[in-house]
Amino acid sequence: MTWIEFVQIWIIAFFTISLFSFLYKDNPFYRIAEHIFAGLSAGYYVGLVWHAVILQQMINPMTEGGKWWLVIPGILGVLMFSRFTKKYHWVSRLPLAFVMGNTAGIFILSELHGKVIPQLRSTMLSLNPAQGLEGFLLALIITIGVISTLIYFYFSKEHKGTLGAIAKTGIWFIMISFGAHFGYTVMARISLLIGRILFLIDDWGGSIIWLFS
Amino acid sequence: MSIWMILAYIFLIVFGAWLLYKTFRTGDRRFIYLAVGFYVVFPILITLDLPTSISPEAEQLYDAVDTLPDSSVVMLTFDYYPSTLAETEPMSRAALHHLFRKDCRVVTMTTIPLGGPSIAERVTREVADEYDKVYGIDYVNLGYKANYVAVLKGMGTSIKKIYPTDNSGTPVSEIPMMEDIRNYDDIDFIFVVADNAIVDIWMAIVNAQYDIQVGTGVTAVMAPKFFAYIGSGQMTGMLGGMKGAAEYEALEKQAGTASKGMGAQSLVHLFIIVSVMVGNIIFFFERKPGDKK
Repeated sequence: MTWIEFVQIWIIAFFTISLFSFLYKDNPFYRIAEHIFAGLSAGYYVGLVWHAVILQQMINPMTEGGKWWLVIPGILGVLMFSRFTKKYHWVSRLPLAFVMGNTAGIFILSELHGKVIPQLRSTMLSLNPAQGLEGFLLALIITIGVISTLIYFYFSKEHKGTLGAIAKTGIWFIMISFGAHFGYTVMARISLLIGRILFLIDDWGGSIIWLFS
Repeated sequence: MSIWMILAYIFLIVFGAWLLYKTFRTGDRRFIYLAVGFYVVFPILITLDLPTSISPEAEQLYDAVDTLPDSSVVMLTFDYYPSTLAETEPMSRAALHHLFRKDCRVVTMTTIPLGGPSIAERVTREVADEYDKVYGIDYVNLGYKANYVAVLKGMGTSIKKIYPTDNSGTPVSEIPMMEDIRNYDDIDFIFVVADNAIVDIWMAIVNAQYDIQVGTGVTAVMAPKFFAYIGSGQMTGMLGGMKGAAEYEALEKQAGTASKGMGAQSLVHLFIIVSVMVGNIIFFFERKPGDKK
């Protein structure tokens, strides 16, 4: 371990512990860590956008590659800032219209082709018992789940009688889905905590041992 | 099992029960935080090794990579922020071990500006050094490029046009490995490791339109959503969160930080299950006859 690495580890450990200190109660260390994180992120993004977008994708290709037509998207980008003026805020709708049209054009096709149609196809399953008990049961559960959940989101008729019973079945499927999401979310959050604790034990602890060895 | 381990387990249960009791008695949630912290730190310190089962999705992904011919070209993405490193970095490491062991040629890239390029650089170089892989011949880091939709779509036509230079500024045309890698047609498999909705774009644009196999490693928060892609046969395997990473590490026999954290993960989950059950039992017992459902 070098002294630079040692200092890096201690800075990271300081901010980690400062942020965890909020679990006890709000305090100045937490505030300092929070504000430094926000400021650093903003500063990093500004530098990154300047380097990776404005320089790399506009100024350099214009000056070195002669792609002077790139001045048009540049102007469109500048027009976005007109939102900050009361008189000319409507001008920002021009680049926004371009972005919306462009995005819709790309995504309508890709969403249909990559999501809607394959997902629809995967729910149209055979309910023929000849395929075996496991396959039949899975197909049955998916069919009931898809239809009942869709009916739950059908609001043009009051959910009473048969429609109400099917919608209630749909709620059960939605609840099971929420349960799975909750379980996975808990796992994700605990994983992040484990990551930090591993850092504190292995890296920070290791740096303390290195200091005294 | 040694006497010390038995004592450790008894201590775990008694201390957890006491913290739970204090939480319900005082209503102070900080006891819960303390318990969760305790159940994370303790298993790591005593290296509690609980078994991890392998999910069919992880096995599918591993098999897909394993059956690739040697020296295949694989694109490995680092589409994640530093905040989710605990879940995603072990996936990338395990995948790199597998790919380099198989002598695959690896193209790394990221659509994440904040940390993505440097994480890709650091992790890939560290693993590559273990296998004596040479930059530019065995692996290349293309780095970050803004506007991910244009990047993903553009690479279908020409990778060199989208990435004229690699992450360190070397022209891609001067990198030997990239001579015969022009677009997705020259890539055999895409391994996306991500913590955000970019996975949808990889599936909708690259998998659907260019008919290339895509396997993923995603954070646990995102995993339930992507089971639909597995069910429809669009996605070739998936790793979900730290458990997914631990599964891939186990399959590759490369125990890393994910495997190390699984003991803690299991204990905290048990504690949360017990807390929810105890909380509900107390709620039902304390409910008065006149209370609404």
